[in-house]
Amino acid sequence: MSDKPVRAIKLNVINEPKDSYTGGKSSLCPGCGHDQISSVIVNSAWENGVEPHRIAKMSGIGCSSKTPAYYLGQSHGFNTVHGRMPSVTTGANVVNKDLTYLGVSGDGDSASIGIGQLIHAIRRNVNMVYIIENNGVYGLTKGQYSATADVGSKKKKGATNETAPIDLCAMAVNLGCSFVARSFSGSKKQLTAIIKAAISHKGFALIDVISPCVTFNNNDESLRSYGYVKDNQAELHSVGYIPHFSPLEQVEVPAGSFRDITLHDGSTMRLETISDEHEISDAVAALSALHRADADKKHVMGLLYFDGEKPALDDDLDLHSTPIVEMGEELLRPSPAQLDDVIAALRS
Amino acid sequence: MDRVVNDFTINIATANGTGSQSANLILLQTLYDMGIPVSGKNLFPSNISGLPTWYIVRVSDLGYQAPGDRTHIQVLVNPATWDEDLAALEPGSVVIWNTDSKMEMNRSDVVSYPVPMTKIARGLNPKLARMIANVVYVGVIAEILGMDQTVLEESISKQFGGKAKAIELNSEAARLGRSYCAEELTVSDPYAVEAREKKEGGFFIEGNEAVALGSVFGGIQLLAWYPITPSSSLAEGVIAWLPELRTHEGKATYAVIQAEDELAAAGMIIGAGWAGARGMTATSGPGISLMQEFIGLAYFAEIPAVFWDVNRVGPSTGLPTRTQQGDLTMLYEGSHGDTQHIVFIPGTVEECFEFGWKIFDASERFQTPVFGLSDLDLGMNRWSCHGFKYPDQPMDRGKVLLTKEQMDSIENYGRYRDVDGDGIPYRTLPGSGLDPILYRGTGHDEDGAYSEKPDVYYKLMQRLKRKIEGARDYLPAPIMRDEVEEDIGIVFYGSLENTIVEIDDILEGITGKKVSTCRVRALPLHSDVQAFVERHNTVIILEINRDAQLYGIIRREFPNHLIHKMHSVAYSDGMPPRARLYAERIMEVLKEVGV
Repeated sequence: MSDKPVRAIKLNVINEPKDSYTGGKSSLCPGCGHDQISSVIVNSAWENGVEPHRIAKMSGIGCSSKTPAYYLGQSHGFNTVHGRMPSVTTGANVVNKDLTYLGVSGDGDSASIGIGQLIHAIRRNVNMVYIIENNGVYGLTKGQYSATADVGSKKKKGATNETAPIDLCAMAVNLGCSFVARSFSGSKKQLTAIIKAAISHKGFALIDVISPCVTFNNNDESLRSYGYVKDNQAELHSVGYIPHFSPLEQVEVPAGSFRDITLHDGSTMRLETISDEHEISDAVAALSALHRADADKKHVMGLLYFDGEKPALDDDLDLHSTPIVEMGEELLRPSPAQLDDVIAALRS
Repeated sequence: MDRVVNDFTINIATANGTGSQSANLILLQTLYDMGIPVSGKNLFPSNISGLPTWYIVRVSDLGYQAPGDRTHIQVLVNPATWDEDLAALEPGSVVIWNTDSKMEMNRSDVVSYPVPMTKIARGLNPKLARMIANVVYVGVIAEILGMDQTVLEESISKQFGGKAKAIELNSEAARLGRSYCAEELTVSDPYAVEAREKKEGGFFIEGNEAVALGSVFGGIQLLAWYPITPSSSLAEGVIAWLPELRTHEGKATYAVIQAEDELAAAGMIIGAGWAGARGMTATSGPGISLMQEFIGLAYFAEIPAVFWDVNRVGPSTGLPTRTQQGDLTMLYEGSHGDTQHIVFIPGTVEECFEFGWKIFDASERFQTPVFGLSDLDLGMNRWSCHGFKYPDQPMDRGKVLLTKEQMDSIENYGRYRDVDGDGIPYRTLPGSGLDPILYRGTGHDEDGAYSEKPDVYYKLMQRLKRKIEGARDYLPAPIMRDEVEEDIGIVFYGSLENTIVEIDDILEGITGKKVSTCRVRALPLHSDVQAFVERHNTVIILEINRDAQLYGIIRREFPNHLIHKMHSVAYSDGMPPRARLYAERIMEVLKEVGV
């Protein structure tokens, strides 16, 4: 027995220490935005009190898609193939609808090779969180532009990008995605609130996170460098999150105008107006905000669009409340009598 | 003139989308219900409406199911192929032709039966004349061959299941065809049918439908698919059976997703397999081509998933509505790098059902993607069936750890550690709370952690090889029929089953002796196949492709001393195999090697 005083370990609402949510050591470049996002994921899952083993961490291929190894070590995960994480997640989701699916992808994965799968996962409203760690370049293959690189932006080596980018948030809004947000790996507070809210949402939650690549795209001429993004954010509102297990009354009511949105699990997302109010149920307002910011060479931040009513894929399929994966032979294999009936029908 | 009873081929030339398929199926069903061994082949175009279609009905007391060497009775309805079809006929053939087609009958050496099919149909219902005209020729054929009118009308009523008006209209059209023939034509051909005793309980079913039903009894949990000929009816069969057979408390015990493409369909079933469920897709060669990357992932990460390939003619878009055994190698060795996959190859509709459920057991037992190889001929034509045997084994879910106790009973658990020495590791499922891993397509050690170490990679690849090799004698054994001489043996697979008896008979007619046969039903090859080759003097590997795909696999895998006695006969022209054509090629090879 040691006489040393035991330091109290902080536990979350389900009595788990934060260690239950951490992962292996990152092998990304020191200072990479993706590592900041990983730490936000750890915090969000821990603070939300999600059971670690009930989370499925999904990814494709690329720097971002390596990160599931660096968080949630007690969760099963699947580092799939390039750009195809949405389909794998869709298949897992419909057979086990009760897990929390946390997908992480990059701009190569999501805006190029996998854009079709992303579009169709949005269209089906697969119940999952889909984080895009968006830095405008391909890192693992040494710094080629991706399809989200901004016009006029210049990476560390090579020419200025002249090809128009694909704005994944605008695309998602147009597709009727039920939760569309943009954030910045350097805005820890905002990103944490958005990821927590996305976990509490039922449906497809797309979070486009600008996450600078310190090795290939963090120079002054880049529109996705730490410095540029910090100085050129257009914040729609400040985002707060109040979990369902922590009563609203205990939270201080802000002085200015704000709006509370109740999420699927009973938690609340609080949007405090900064200058003009942004109407999150209005797709046109979301697109206006995106286009205005684009014209000003700024990055709009916050919850762009939200629809808490849209049925998710597992609702559409009219599934039994027991996840399909938990069903045994008695439910999965029809009886001999049923085969007899089928054959009788074929004979008639 | 000698009567030719129950031994002839009818060829019906129509245009796609004119309702001729219903008429042809009525003809087929009627013959079948009269107890006459019959088979039908639909040669259809890749088109919705207008292009030429042929339907071939083989009537054979010997049970031959291939299209036959020649047409004995030709029905001409389609002007587009009129001259070609007519020119191809041997003298003495029967031609039943539509005089309203405004086409000429320029052959005097055939038995000509002109029938104003459209006019007769128009008299019955002007609006539907084009469709009903097809049933008029069915009536004419029925009269010429002496088919039973009661059975014919029962077939019509089966075809139009309960729709009284359609049944009445079509029955009348058939009667009018018959009476026209009886009153206006002088029948002067030798062809006739005679009823035979019908085996109790027989019915027609397409291979695709039988696989679909088998998969429902195999406990399919996710069907993810993308439409492609000739596999769409397999997926649609599953979708049709599921609500009736797999609803619990009013809710689904399954999920169906029509994916955005074949890649996504593959991803979805791999996602389901990863989560612990039975996922399946149905596709054809082009779809399998698209799925290659995912197939490698499932092989390397060891995730169960079931892929049915209803083979059509490749390469590329190929002949989308014709048949081939051209995907065998692609399935067996699918994806880049060293891979090897289990392939189930049904040859009958009964096996389509049986393998439909067994394939899930194999996939979960060996934790690997498993393929079913059917083809357009087996999948989309109707075959006689006498019922399906209910699964005789409980579902085999493989080495899945479900409890902490099971987990603790394994010393030094690792997702990819070979505890039992059979190359098959244990796995835990997401959400279970038992040892998790991050599954990956990158190199990994026995615990599932990323590794590029040479010995780790080498050992992993050797274990995977051992795992799949271990499936050989677990998989369906070949069906063998040995002749006492054990001189010549034929190794074949899949839908060639329906032609092999006729090939054998033709060979016997030429050589005076029968050959032994061995029908391969799965890859990797069962050890019985090698034993078959060992005990025969000369072995022909027979298949419907250009490149001798099974022959290539056998040559690589069997010992050198057997290679000299094995010879390939591989031929593919898109058509369902015609026995004489294959028999002649076998004879050529036998001659070449001096047998």
